[in-house]
Amino acid sequence: MAEPQAARLVGTALRCYPARWRRRHGEEAAELAALLIRDGTPAGSIARSYLAGAAREWLTPRPGRRLSTVACALLVAACSLGVSAGLLAPAAPARAASTSQARASAHCRPGSPESVPGVISATGCPQVIIWEAVHGRSC
Amino acid sequence: MAVGRRDDRAGQDVLRRVGEASVLVLISLADAPKHGYALIQDIKELAGVELGPGTLYGALDRLERLGLIESLPADDRRHPYRITAPGAAALRVHLDSLERLSAAGRLRLQLGGI
Repeated sequence: MAEPQAARLVGTALRCYPARWRRRHGEEAAELAALLIRDGTPAGSIARSYLAGAAREWLTPRPGRRLSTVACALLVAACSLGVSAGLLAPAAPARAASTSQARASAHCRPGSPESVPGVISATGCPQVIIWEAVHGRSC
Repeated sequence: MAVGRRDDRAGQDVLRRVGEASVLVLISLADAPKHGYALIQDIKELAGVELGPGTLYGALDRLERLGLIESLPADDRRHPYRITAPGAAALRVHLDSLERLSAAGRLRLQLGGI
């Protein structure tokens, strides 16, 4: 990876740390990353390590940190995951439909789809919910 | 009671719950102050473990919060860290505990004849 790209990647990971941490370790951490990259450590693995460290830093309770700040950070993370899941969603309904039909024939009375109304006609996520509600448990 | 005694001893070993990275950092700082890059290199040589920088700073922060190490004035942009007296004492207790465990394990292997 080119040096400016590597520096940008590490810089992005470092920006995920709380401001207090960046004020204290930010410059030193960037310099450490540059030294490690010079030694041949991949920038991606350094960025991953800093990202994991940032997550731990946010999740570690601190006396001066308000609970709302932590809650906001968790909310942003959850939203990011939601967006990622949304991007992957177009492929999901087909898989879900085939899975629930396979379950219907394998687990319950075979050949009696009327026992699980809504499963055959519906497509997408809701059918899975209906299926599990009918059974009272996940199969 | 035996269980009570064991718990008391574990209570003195503050390094028992801080994780391997923190123990390695403390061992590395035992002979002289070091900054981040020197710590990573030393631990790699000492234990064959390549600490990620994120893990290193997590360990440094944890040890500093516990008062087991302290940050020295910055040399250029690098902060060297030094082990404190309580840090050295905690490391001794932890290493003693590991030695006892190691001896017990070796004895049991001998008794088992495996």
